[in-house]
Amino acid sequence: MAVQEEPKVIPVDDFVRDELYPGYTQAFGTQPFVAGPVRPFSKADNASYWLRDSLHFSEGMVPASIALLDDAQTWGAQLGAEIVGVPPTRGSVNRLAGTHVYIGTIDVDTDWQIQARAARFGQYVGPILADFDRYWAMRAGELQSAYHHFDNLDLAAMDSGQLWTAVKDGYAFHRRAWFIHFEVMYVLTANYLAFYQLAEEIGLEGSLVSAFLSGRQTFYSTTDEELWKLAGRARELEVTGPLLHTDPAAVRGQLEALPHGRTWLNEFDGFLRTYGWRTEETCRIDTPSWIEDPSPALYAIASFLAKPAGFDFHAARQDAVAERDAQIEAARRAVNGSDLRRFNEALASNQAANFAWWNEEHNYLIDRRAAIPVRRASLELGARLVDEGKLTAPDDIFFLFKPELFAVMEGDGPGWPALTSMIPDRRAYFEDWRRRGPELPTMLGTIPDAVPDPIMIEVFGLSGHFLETLKGGGAAQELRGFPAAKGVAEGVARVITSVAELHKVQPGEILVCGGTTTEWTPVFGIIKACVCDTGGSLTHAAIVSREYGIPCVVGTAAATKTIKTGDRVRVDGRQGTVQVFGSQAP
Amino acid sequence: MTPAGDVVLDLGDIRVTDTARVGPKIARLGQLASAGWPVPDGYAVTVHALGGWLPRQARSEIEQLASVLNETDFDPVALSHASERVRALIESQPLPSWLEDAVLSAHERLRTRTGRGPRLRVAVRSSAVGEDSAKASFAGQYSTFLGITDAADVLRHIRKCWASGYSAWAVQYRRRAGLPPHAHDLAVGVMELVNARSAGVVFTLDPVTGDRGRMVVEANWGFGESVVSGQVTPDYWAVDRASSQVAERRVGGKHMWTVFDPATATVTLVPLPADLARQPCLDDDEVRYLCRKAAEIEDAEGVPQDVEWAIARNAPFPDSVFILQHRPETTWPAAPAPGAQPSFDPVQFALRNVFKVPRA
Repeated sequence: MAVQEEPKVIPVDDFVRDELYPGYTQAFGTQPFVAGPVRPFSKADNASYWLRDSLHFSEGMVPASIALLDDAQTWGAQLGAEIVGVPPTRGSVNRLAGTHVYIGTIDVDTDWQIQARAARFGQYVGPILADFDRYWAMRAGELQSAYHHFDNLDLAAMDSGQLWTAVKDGYAFHRRAWFIHFEVMYVLTANYLAFYQLAEEIGLEGSLVSAFLSGRQTFYSTTDEELWKLAGRARELEVTGPLLHTDPAAVRGQLEALPHGRTWLNEFDGFLRTYGWRTEETCRIDTPSWIEDPSPALYAIASFLAKPAGFDFHAARQDAVAERDAQIEAARRAVNGSDLRRFNEALASNQAANFAWWNEEHNYLIDRRAAIPVRRASLELGARLVDEGKLTAPDDIFFLFKPELFAVMEGDGPGWPALTSMIPDRRAYFEDWRRRGPELPTMLGTIPDAVPDPIMIEVFGLSGHFLETLKGGGAAQELRGFPAAKGVAEGVARVITSVAELHKVQPGEILVCGGTTTEWTPVFGIIKACVCDTGGSLTHAAIVSREYGIPCVVGTAAATKTIKTGDRVRVDGRQGTVQVFGSQAP
Repeated sequence: MTPAGDVVLDLGDIRVTDTARVGPKIARLGQLASAGWPVPDGYAVTVHALGGWLPRQARSEIEQLASVLNETDFDPVALSHASERVRALIESQPLPSWLEDAVLSAHERLRTRTGRGPRLRVAVRSSAVGEDSAKASFAGQYSTFLGITDAADVLRHIRKCWASGYSAWAVQYRRRAGLPPHAHDLAVGVMELVNARSAGVVFTLDPVTGDRGRMVVEANWGFGESVVSGQVTPDYWAVDRASSQVAERRVGGKHMWTVFDPATATVTLVPLPADLARQPCLDDDEVRYLCRKAAEIEDAEGVPQDVEWAIARNAPFPDSVFILQHRPETTWPAAPAPGAQPSFDPVQFALRNVFKVPRA
């Protein structure tokens, strides 16, 4: 007898709000919208699923960041999905639990719409894939020329009209950058998922596909290489002491006291001028660039210094490439005839339009950089508003919503006193929710049996097993996930919920986290294995673990809830399992 | 104790199905020979031989090597010392008599087959079973020795090839690939050395652009080692596949060449006389012939190839052309042959098989 199972709902009720922040009820910051803007949760949201996106936004959003989120995962994704014509989805939509971001999807469910979108998709995507280098060069060129404009603005010398224009231009650019992001992403995921699916159909493991596409140099791998060289220079110039043992805030002073400290700092500043235009998180206007605060770069250099002196960046890279080629060759030997031909063609198509590569490469042009022009101009404006007695601190401006700021700057709305009076409450609200971040459920609303959008499945690892684990409440002695990088390791877990805590990780520990982004890369040089709540074959943690040769399991759904720092765990990156032994060794 | 499998195989008995015993390089050469292609004759010492023999002390050193590697942050200095000790042990120990006898009798057969007797010069080449799947990284990592005549020297260089399987690089590579620390995957080939006037490589696609409409030949005077090891800028020809016409030619900066030096009885890299350096080392007929032969190999293998070849002195063309080895070109594996209809359309495949859109 079949039993009709009740759908599993993790109620959103605790997070339902009318206000997006104290004193701000206008949820529709941007009108018109493609499909739906960022909003707080409402009761109706219990009907669908909402995934906590700690992969991109681990610490919560200040009011001004919410307009940037709107541009990105909401507007950008929806417009990209419309224009490219992705058949099953109209893109993603966001809800906020307090200040924390959840993502859902808007499914397309009528036959006619799916067919119409499929036809559009066929016409749109083919020509781009066939000539991807030229197409990406065009988009990347557009972004680069915008950065050339914004980075060279002398904001301090501007009059108030020019500065306000710079803020508005910054916002306009941010929105455009995110449309580019999703247009390219949807085009490339189609190519990647086609290869993945083909691999499975001809008897290979789809999970190997991203390994086949690994090893191509990105702006970030070049950054890492430069950091490694700076570590080598620090050894040569005998300035490693402060780099290894000093709080980043004080390191400059300590280095200058050493005979060759100034030389090293000059080289480091030269590095920052090229590689420092990046922040630690996406869409977060309140996070500084490396140029403002180089702590992450200094941390990365210290991680390289902690490695044995013989570590050779190039040899490690060459090994990764050799291993990739070995895997491709092994796959080729396993298939033959017309399957081999299709395999070869799918591989060629993906080497030419390579999602695994772009997935890293685009971060420096979009995710980690697009908000910097708005941030810089906003901070300059904030400083002037402090001088005028309207704000208390320059970064108070981040606690105003974009529509509030635009209204007051253009002589509209309730005026400055009403706005500034709300800022202390909003700061407290942000801090309160920041503390609560690690306790938030991985998923809210109705946990589905399956997610219809293959892109969501791939990027966030929403496999059937992931959803089952969430339905089961997530507590288990053994976690299962996506086998992202092979190898077996056993050791002591370190649970990290935000990139700001990364310095706590000790060499030889096993990193357990929600998900990683580019800023986490240096820690892969010292950890023994990596386990993530979310993610699929293309997530950052999977790609980087393969390059560093450590086991990795992603998409476990419940690792950060099940495992505690100090627990002994065993990670099997080929089986995709994580055994949790608790704080006693087995 | 002698090992269970064959320890030495003559090239005439080797087929591509022997890859697991002799490595892909020698297995493919055997396959070519059996199909009547001009390849240098020789024999192979199989992976079973190394598995069947290792000095006891070397075994324990290898265990120690493995334990150094198993530490989370292994010490690279300790690793290189452990690796040195293993290599010194392997190089210094005589081969067991069952293996020495097998090699010496194979060598005698080769001297007879080639008709050169004791004047026969050979190349002793390492051949790893996993080799060209990881071409970029393996290239140059295992040893090759050219121009050996004395049978005792052959034995000594076989040991040196094996020892190269325990270089710090090789043991780390095997560890990363999840393989055991023992170099059970290393065979050694002993081949007649082709007395090369010119030698080099043919790529059946343009290795820079991946264009399958163009084939590329790179070559220098003398043995091919100067080209393969990248020590000179070789002469360059690009040939249009469809018309067989030479589309582009460049005389390289060939300031050095690899030759046999009778004074030291070794093969060495020495300066190339200026008048030879200015001359292309192949004529167009030779270039076109090499491309045609490489295309035939590609047809048989089904994927683009790079083919190493040598043109012997004192033999009439085209009997002078020998194929030394070939392997799949992995950098640009999949560009469709010109004119071929692609059989995989990623967009339509994504629509039907990923997004599951039914046909309208």
